[in-house]
Amino acid sequence: MSASLEAYLARLYLDADARRAFAADPRGAAARAGLDETDVAALEQIDHAGLELTARSLQAKRQARPRRGWLARLLVR
Amino acid sequence: MRGYDRVGLGWRPELAAGILANLDRVDLVEVIADDYVGAGRGALRALQTLAIQVPLVLHGISLGLASAAPVDRRRLDALARVVGAVEPQGWSEHLAFVRGGGLELGHLAAPPRRDATLGGLAANVARARAIVGSAPALENVATLIDPPGSDRDEPAWLADAVAATGGELLLDLHNLHANAVNFGFDAHAALARLPLARVRFVHVAGGAWIGNDGGRRRVLDDHRHDVPAPVFELLADLAARTPNPLTVIVERDGDYPPIEHLLAELDRARSALAGGRARVAA
Repeated sequence: MSASLEAYLARLYLDADARRAFAADPRGAAARAGLDETDVAALEQIDHAGLELTARSLQAKRQARPRRGWLARLLVR
Repeated sequence: MRGYDRVGLGWRPELAAGILANLDRVDLVEVIADDYVGAGRGALRALQTLAIQVPLVLHGISLGLASAAPVDRRRLDALARVVGAVEPQGWSEHLAFVRGGGLELGHLAAPPRRDATLGGLAANVARARAIVGSAPALENVATLIDPPGSDRDEPAWLADAVAATGGELLLDLHNLHANAVNFGFDAHAALARLPLARVRFVHVAGGAWIGNDGGRRRVLDDHRHDVPAPVFELLADLAARTPNPLTVIVERDGDYPPIEHLLAELDRARSALAGGRARVAA
């Protein structure tokens, strides 16, 4: 179920507490999230350093999003 | 370089004045479509005015097409309004998911590279085509983590994505470079495996090294640094491998240098294209 995996990844990327719980027990945390055995097994093999870097990167990019409406401010009085 | 290759810049507020003062050196601009989703008539008129002055393409960042979840109809309706008002020369989106389980990531995440995602992607692109009136070119994304749940490598995923949607690939060469560095594959070999006949649009950008304490370093695609030499080498390689006219956008999203510096990067991209084309002619 890719939708379930995407939902769980979104939680891991956004929630430091969820990442800590997952790091302590990847199989248990993934299973409790309702993922099927294939996805649980995939998450057991996850690159934890990459996961943390991804979470930090997403946070930084959210904060750096471009402003809305700047073209109107530039070209329209 | 073939006369029909074009090189332009991502349109950003910090660069607007410099671009408008140098339209003889900027072949086109790429505008973030999301900035105009839900915008008023004044903002859309301003965008229409810009499109009269310089060829324009739109680039989306928040549809989340590469997902098992269906793309929101309201988002597509809003995008269709922008596309209809501006009539861009094309539009694009990312091969990424941006939300899941009711949570908004606020940016792009590489999806599991597997059939279930492909099925969702194909359905989402078909929906986008039906509502917007045309299909987006689909852009490969950079990632700092090998997407969990994947059963194929990136070149195979990109080829499958293009085949499943019948669309085009917007090939971001810095994303390809970053992933090659981060996951230890050869970017040029990967390039050779891509469906290059379906590539007309290209992104180039820069990034930075990052790393965890004690962990191996990785390349972050931050768009805040100059385009590195390996990316220009990939551009030359691409130009040698496809006869398609290529439209290249230099992306910059922070730490903006003087416009002359960016215009020099556009010239360097033109040189790389010319070098690749010359290899074919030789």
